[in-house]
Amino acid sequence: MSEIKQEELNSTNQNVEKADETDWAAAKAHYENLKSKKPRPPKPKNAVTIAVSSRTLFDMVKDRKVFEEEGLEKYVEYQQEHENEPLKPGSAFPFVKALMTVNERLRTLYPDSEELFDIVLMTNNHAQVGVRLMNSINHYDLTIERFCMTGGQSPIGYLKAYMTNLYLSKDTKKVQEAIEEGIAAAIMYKPDMMMELSETQLRVAFDGDAVLFSDESEIIVKQHGLDTFFEHEKQHENKPLAQGPLKCFLEALGKLQKKIYAKNERLDCPIRTFLVTARSAASSGARVLKTLRSWGLEIDEALFLAGAPKGPLLQKIRPHIFFDDQMFHIEGAKEMGTIAAHVPYGIGQKYNKGKLIEQPEKLQK
Amino acid sequence: AQNSLIIALQHHDIFDLESPNADTEVLPKGIAFSFIKAVHAVNQRLVSHNSSESLGFEVILIANECSEESKVKIVENVKHYGMEICKFYFCKKDEVIKTLQSNNVKLFLSTDSDEIYKALHADVPAAVLYDQTGVLDQLKVTFSGDIIGLPEDSLDSLADLGFSEAQIKTFKSAKICMKEFAGLIGEMRRRFGHENSPLCTCLITVWGSRNICLSALKTLGGWGLDVDEAFCMAGAPCSPILALVKPHILWDGGLHNLRDVPNFEL
Repeated sequence: MSEIKQEELNSTNQNVEKADETDWAAAKAHYENLKSKKPRPPKPKNAVTIAVSSRTLFDMVKDRKVFEEEGLEKYVEYQQEHENEPLKPGSAFPFVKALMTVNERLRTLYPDSEELFDIVLMTNNHAQVGVRLMNSINHYDLTIERFCMTGGQSPIGYLKAYMTNLYLSKDTKKVQEAIEEGIAAAIMYKPDMMMELSETQLRVAFDGDAVLFSDESEIIVKQHGLDTFFEHEKQHENKPLAQGPLKCFLEALGKLQKKIYAKNERLDCPIRTFLVTARSAASSGARVLKTLRSWGLEIDEALFLAGAPKGPLLQKIRPHIFFDDQMFHIEGAKEMGTIAAHVPYGIGQKYNKGKLIEQPEKLQK
Repeated sequence: AQNSLIIALQHHDIFDLESPNADTEVLPKGIAFSFIKAVHAVNQRLVSHNSSESLGFEVILIANECSEESKVKIVENVKHYGMEICKFYFCKKDEVIKTLQSNNVKLFLSTDSDEIYKALHADVPAAVLYDQTGVLDQLKVTFSGDIIGLPEDSLDSLADLGFSEAQIKTFKSAKICMKEFAGLIGEMRRRFGHENSPLCTCLITVWGSRNICLSALKTLGGWGLDVDEAFCMAGAPCSPILALVKPHILWDGGLHNLRDVPNFEL
């Protein structure tokens, strides 16, 4: 199995494995046979699998309203009536296009490799809504060949069955469940205005604490204040932080980057990663960089803001996606045109702008 | 019922005759038990929605090469378990196909892929039976989209993958045979809403790309069946997904039952 995948799927039955291999060979032969110009999707165990929900891939705000106001039956009917009308792009659309660009480059440099991005549509919509989704995917010619339309069932089991490396959705509960199951996941937000993003390079920005790293240090800030935090970080500078939910995704990106570097294309790499942290370089930055080094991970640009707002800097970076655990930063990013993805992990979920949220969290549908 | 969906099962799938307890008066349950239970639940719900409902499942039992003693045992056990089996056919092994053909069977279920293929070859709709004991409270019917979604000329091109003419002919006629079953299941499905249905239909495309899956969805729709769930694997391993879908029955037109097809280029 490729190093990109963290877990190995337990397949105890040899006959089952043999059958799966036959299916794989048949699909491969079939693709080549149909002389399709479309590239064949990679084997999931070798690929970086990104699962996107229908509402993140496409703008389904209007459709969601029909569901909420008129119920499931009317919603499915509505989608069937509009099945030939392509949906408009959603918050994850630019990210998906950028993944496709990286795949093109990787295929040129390594024509036989399956270490590529594999994009899966993971939705608990009913299959009849799927006709419109597939027509829309055809309309934009996206390379999404795999999908799960679970007809109302939870997608979590399917995420694992597809060996998902990253799951993007608008549903808080599903994302939380995924994170609890050890799958990197985030809730996508559409920015208040659209900015022009790179069409040749995938740009991914990460917050540090409670995203790439665990929330251990953030707990200290929230419970004991900044001064204690600075002291603590200086003392433990050489002790690596524990990993956070998005660490494995950064790792997967890093492995693909190394393949590009191996072909002498470092200066023209189609993947660029950014760390955008509220930590300050002087007092608490070293520990972060040393942790990354101890993991054998590289990040292209590390930006220490020392508490300054992230919005303006992100506007300059123009990432296709920015991961952060705190809604305060997500809002700030959104307001200034950055596509933000909330990682609902750690102590940050109990606070809002530094103040402890007393009431229980509002239940989201 | 007038508008019956006749399903044929064999006694060795209904009762576990391999079990060490098979000598006792009461036979141990076999793989088909959960299916029969789920079918019963669908029939009950159909009638509860409309007491003069004419659409429903009818299960018939086929037993081959049975002694007189076994015949009695089988009938007694069906009664003991309260199974709604309306007809029993005791015949010789080589008469099974004829029995299926002459009884307007809409679907023959088996766990033996050779048997299934033979039935399809004789224009009898047939599908794989799975054991989902204690797992689901709804009947899960799954179709593979690979044959359904392929247009005629693409089915012919399967010859390049090493399938024989006879096999391709079987796939084509399997597709035609399936139309009636799909239409009836679709009608049944429409008696219930999207939620809380005792019947759930699913499409899984194992080899094909998304357009084959889309084509299969539309074809089934044209036959009167709007499936609830759809999965497109495009060659990704299918067993982890099937383990979650948990079908009671899976129709694949014989395509995936032929595991030992020659000439696949790796």
